[in-house]
Amino acid sequence: MTQDASSANYKDYTLLSYHHISDVHKLDIFSKAGGYETMKKCFAMGPETIKEEVKGSGLRGRGGAGFPTGVKWGFFSKDRTQKKYLVCNADESEPGTFKDRYLVEKCPHLLIEGMIISAWALGVDKGYIYIRGEFYHQAKILEEAIQEAYSAGYLGHNICGQDFKFDLYVHRGAGAYICGEETGLLSSLEGKKGQPKLKPPFPAIKGYRGYPTMINNVESLAAIPWIMRFGAPAYKKWGTEKSAGTKLFSISGDVKKPGVIEVPLGIPLREIIEDYCGGVKGGNLKAVIPGGSSAPILTAAESMLATMDYEDIAARGSMLGSGAIIVLNDTRSMGEVLKWTLEFYHHESCGQCTPCREGTGWLDKIFKRAENGHGQASDIDLLDKVAANMRGRTICALADAAAMPTQGMIKAFRGELLTFIEGQGQEERGRKR
Amino acid sequence: MTEKFLFTAENKAKYAEYLTRYDDVESALLPVLHLAQEQNGWLSSAVVASISEMMNIPAIKIQQVISFYDMFYAHPMGKNIIQVCTNISCSMYGGRKLHGELLEHFQTENLQPTQDGQITIQKMECLGACEMAPCIRINNDYMGPITFESAVKKIKELS
Repeated sequence: MTQDASSANYKDYTLLSYHHISDVHKLDIFSKAGGYETMKKCFAMGPETIKEEVKGSGLRGRGGAGFPTGVKWGFFSKDRTQKKYLVCNADESEPGTFKDRYLVEKCPHLLIEGMIISAWALGVDKGYIYIRGEFYHQAKILEEAIQEAYSAGYLGHNICGQDFKFDLYVHRGAGAYICGEETGLLSSLEGKKGQPKLKPPFPAIKGYRGYPTMINNVESLAAIPWIMRFGAPAYKKWGTEKSAGTKLFSISGDVKKPGVIEVPLGIPLREIIEDYCGGVKGGNLKAVIPGGSSAPILTAAESMLATMDYEDIAARGSMLGSGAIIVLNDTRSMGEVLKWTLEFYHHESCGQCTPCREGTGWLDKIFKRAENGHGQASDIDLLDKVAANMRGRTICALADAAAMPTQGMIKAFRGELLTFIEGQGQEERGRKR
Repeated sequence: MTEKFLFTAENKAKYAEYLTRYDDVESALLPVLHLAQEQNGWLSSAVVASISEMMNIPAIKIQQVISFYDMFYAHPMGKNIIQVCTNISCSMYGGRKLHGELLEHFQTENLQPTQDGQITIQKMECLGACEMAPCIRINNDYMGPITFESAVKKIKELS
């Protein structure tokens, strides 16, 4: 691909159409390549037409839950005079995920264009991009792009001469996984601890400061301009019947070429690993975490058969999640992977629900105890039991996100886990002797 | 007696601008804490008292918020913050080992400033840069994949 191409590559990509263009983070270059044209056309359409198109596209929330974006929009108040908010979730903290960072740092205007179209369709006059605190430079890139959009008359009052106002701000988090959960995000945006809130009421009804709030992921909002430009039927040509369109995948771990790719949903996982990522590095394939650390692990055999769409991965007892693929070769210890995972959830539990606060603590402590030489054969069943008791008993999904990979790992690698836990104990006992 | 914390003139203007972004004062707390920490290095009780007064938010509520987030610090920090990712992909490529080796090399403990006050090393969960495994963050800059030797070199280059 040439670096100085002035037009977007809409043929092969929806989300990364502009990524090959140098300096496309600048508004003039983005505009020259066709950026913001769709936004201008959208102002001539009624908001309901836009909502119908998004619904018809089959776009599903790309943050991890996979809930249809158009249906979510349908729950939102149609009253254009009511105080409402649009929030972009750029917290991106699911271990293994780095796609939103890649999207916004190179092409911030695509997200902003998507948000302006969405704000117009939803009748919202104020929006926030909640970005994780660690992404300091990305927040700066977004802020500069927003300033450019204000100067061009795409944000603020009377956007493009329309009787439409939309203000957009960047809000930085400060290092907390739970702020990616949409009600935790809202608490954080309100200046509080990022503790999730009980649902219902859902944020679309009662969200930020008690007002209806539409929260969508970066990737979902960035897909809107393409969908509005080429139409829902064109978008649906990609992907499967129930998992329409293209998706970004973040691939890390034991592959020769880790990174972010955009591919149609439904692509074989094998093809991603072998063709896009240059194959497995450092050994043979042992297992794959297909959708971030919350997703139960797939064995090598399962991975070779899997296709990357919401249905196929769910049918294999895991989930597509945010599309974070972590590849593990046969030198990797599954005990260590689970130990790291559980330490993470223990650290990130917000602490308000007992089953999660105590449960994640217990899961972590079982591994810590083994490290100290007190691993027992019964620990595997104990892990399983604690995990089972956490599921479905809390305000948000963090408890499930810790329990699911635990139970998944036990199901797929029980023998190895047992050896790991007992082996850690022996090693420690040996030292003490 | 601790001295009163005051924003610099430049930061006072930023503070005023932050308040215009939100429909209530409390929503501006995170950006205001980031700003205060940038100026002061950490969020001391003097900073909390001053922000509490400015924003009319009880100090205890501000302290709760500070304790909740990994990037807000309620104790003195080194001049430079070195965050080391220890989540799955980074640990697969030595992130945990790197964290331990850096602590040992600079003779310090996690989250404690070194004796010369130059750096603080912090163990972090996923930094969202798994393709760079193992990855570290020096102040606001991501680096990776990084070896122990090159991390030490980068840290020593800091003023």
